Amino acid sequence: MYDKTVRRRRAVLALLVVLSLILLTAYFGEASSGGLHSVQRGFLTVVSPIQNGANKALKPVRDLIGWFGDTLHAKGQRDELRKQVDKLRREVIANNAEKASYRELLSLYKLDNQLSVNDYHPVTATVVAKSPNVWYSTVTIDKGESSGVHVNDPVINAEGLVGKVAQAASDGAQVTLITDSSVGVSARIGTSGATGIVQPKVGDPNDLLLQYLPANTQANKGEYVVTSGTVSSPDDSLYPPGIPIGQVTSTNEESAYRSVNVHPLANLHNLDVVQVLTAASGSLPSNLSRLAANLPAGQHSSASGEALASTGGG
Amino acid sequence: MGANGNPALLWRIALLATVVVFFQIGVVSEVPVFGVSADLSPLLVAFVGLLCGSTVGAVTGFGVGLLVDLALVQTLGVTSLTLTIVGYCAGRLREARDPQAALTPLLVGAAGSAAAMVLYSLVQFLLGVDAPVSWELLRQIVLGIVVNSIIALPVWAIVRRCLIGGLPEDPRRRRRRAYTTGGLSPLSRS
Repeated sequence: MYDKTVRRRRAVLALLVVLSLILLTAYFGEASSGGLHSVQRGFLTVVSPIQNGANKALKPVRDLIGWFGDTLHAKGQRDELRKQVDKLRREVIANNAEKASYRELLSLYKLDNQLSVNDYHPVTATVVAKSPNVWYSTVTIDKGESSGVHVNDPVINAEGLVGKVAQAASDGAQVTLITDSSVGVSARIGTSGATGIVQPKVGDPNDLLLQYLPANTQANKGEYVVTSGTVSSPDDSLYPPGIPIGQVTSTNEESAYRSVNVHPLANLHNLDVVQVLTAASGSLPSNLSRLAANLPAGQHSSASGEALASTGGG
Repeated sequence: MGANGNPALLWRIALLATVVVFFQIGVVSEVPVFGVSADLSPLLVAFVGLLCGSTVGAVTGFGVGLLVDLALVQTLGVTSLTLTIVGYCAGRLREARDPQAALTPLLVGAAGSAAAMVLYSLVQFLLGVDAPVSWELLRQIVLGIVVNSIIALPVWAIVRRCLIGGLPEDPRRRRRRAYTTGGLSPLSRS
């Protein structure tokens, strides 16, 4: 009895395996128009409506199960996307900062070409600290004496004149902005050529005043005020001529002289990249600066408070 | 073994197999878990083999495999071959060892699923199906076994519940029940 059972069991297994192999071989070997394929297609034709019906009937079940899966998946995706958003946000911020720096550097480059600032050995520096008070009269840059930066070197950016170096350390320097009361810059009005001294306006640190202009000076609103290339005192730095300082906003009538209000072109509240015109020793600007500084007081200070220490071609 | 000639049981198995195959195709295969879908077919065949014996297990495997191949328009015979072997082996385990541990269905389901997936892959490779042996394939197989193991116990409970009414009385089960109800208790006989 036992042997018969075992034999039958094995026979069934062998039969099913052989049947499977025959099916497999026949199906695999025949063309798509063969008999087994036709049977399969026929089965599919019969079963398709049932499958469709079952599919529709079971859709709520599928949706329910899928809802749990989707929820878990969505949570994972949400966390992943949050990370991506954070990463992309950081990248955007970094890109924007780089873009701004690039624009500033590009503008500086253009300014260099226009004004021949390269003669003054510009050193590009980054503002690393700003005066915390509302006046923003000083900033700290990351270049110092080791880069050739010295006291009184002019500092510019892409928009125009920024200020001058007040103190220089080995790897950093403090820059006094043109809105600081200690700064006076010899300047001229672009079209008329009338020269005067630009100083901060008392009571309004964001505005400048071009003073000591001849009484007959014509200054229209919107005209550019640029550096004249002269010094007003031995302590002054020699600003290269033609660097934009600001635009005329209004004119003031005074007794002997005329003054105009000037709005600075450089956004002094948002400085990032600047250039220090180091005028290396032995260069023409350096020599002129030294010459002007050594002149007796009467020779470099005229009635308008300005010595005509012209830079010549510079 | 006694299940071989029980028409009621065979009808139950056929109905269950049809429902499971359509449920597999219509629902389960569209719900991925860990990136793979559970496969109820090897679980069903293995549990039928575990409950009904090797012959019924093998026949069920062949039938379920044929149904799957027909419904999914696959190469006829591949799934039949693999599931026949799975059903037979599960049935032989019952006949030879009759394991009673609570985790037996879990282990049988995992082993059946693993055997089915590996055999299926082997046959496909032998047929020359162009699929590179890659970590992705191995990952799919391993994850498939894990997912099937997770659902093995619930599937076992359902299969057992569906078939238990058609199963012949298990001598050991009958003995246990008689003892607990007092039918064959030595005390009642004395």
